[in-house]
Amino acid sequence: MKFQDNMPIYQQIEKYLYRQIALGYFKPGDKIPSVRQLAVDLTVNINTVQHALMRLNERKILYVKRGQGNFVTEDTELLAQTRKELIDDQIKQFTSNMLALRLSPQQTLEALRKYYEEKNEKGGD
Amino acid sequence: MTNKELLKIEHLDYRKNRRVILHEVNLSIGTGHIIALLGENGAGKTTLMRIISGVAKNYHGTVCLAGHEEEEKRKTHLAMTDPLKGFLKSSQLNDIVVFYKKVYSDFDSERFEELKDFMSIDLSMKLSQLSKGMREKLIVALTFSRQCDLYLLDEPFNGIDAMTRKKIVNSILRWKSDDSTIIISDHFVTEVAAILDDVIIIKDRTVFTHVSADEILKKHQSIESYYESLYEGEE
Repeated sequence: MKFQDNMPIYQQIEKYLYRQIALGYFKPGDKIPSVRQLAVDLTVNINTVQHALMRLNERKILYVKRGQGNFVTEDTELLAQTRKELIDDQIKQFTSNMLALRLSPQQTLEALRKYYEEKNEKGGD
Repeated sequence: MTNKELLKIEHLDYRKNRRVILHEVNLSIGTGHIIALLGENGAGKTTLMRIISGVAKNYHGTVCLAGHEEEEKRKTHLAMTDPLKGFLKSSQLNDIVVFYKKVYSDFDSERFEELKDFMSIDLSMKLSQLSKGMREKLIVALTFSRQCDLYLLDEPFNGIDAMTRKKIVNSILRWKSDDSTIIISDHFVTEVAAILDDVIIIKDRTVFTHVSADEILKKHQSIESYYESLYEGEE
């Protein structure tokens, strides 16, 4: 994982894990790797990993089983919400970029529709 | 991260041949941290480490490690990298390990075995046969095999290739116990930035700043550019 150097690393790890969960790489009820394992895998400090996990615990995305580690919540509603947040994030970025290109919402939708059509014609996935 | 105080330095002054090397250094460091000690060549990083470890004497002020001010007691709570200059070039690495086991009662042979394997160190080699990177790996492995509260790594990344640096960084993450604190001196910071809790910068013969890595990044600045910005307008 490559870190940006303008955001605390615990926040980047929090985002990264959040994404892994939202994308379904970790399923509801899955145990996530140990703190030390994550630290070694991501080449970051243990304190930093702990900080990120603590925040995900506070948001109830993860929960701790004593002596066993961190597990992904089984609250599917919360996970759906997590996924929606990620999607909304992407849309927000996209739409503000389109706005910067002076496209109205109508024109943006039209451009998007066209894009998908052309992509399908090319037989892309 | 526990926040018990491990090391406290107050009003430290150090001169050598009438020249002021360090002046009015104050520092408080907690347990369980990984800290970069940054500064230009000759800023006094090594001197500060030598004072903490009890090798450099005749300083003024107090240095207190794990509740001990006496040098002899401090020494039992810390391990500092030794450049191995006291050994003959023809020494076999095996003999150096035997020496470490004899001299340091906190030397953990099992941990050394693991570190040695991780770093692929061949103990049948002679000191003179080691590349710079291999030598640094050996030094770090020997230092880390001691079980103590504070590890002082004096420029472990100086002049070694990226793969070796990565290996050393990984060994730090793997073998560091939760409560021990590591201070790594260096004059640039890119390769260790992600593993740091704190940054200490030595400048103008004193501790110029002691700041958490998160604080720097929160201001949307990399540790590297923060460090460089302190030197802007000089020279």
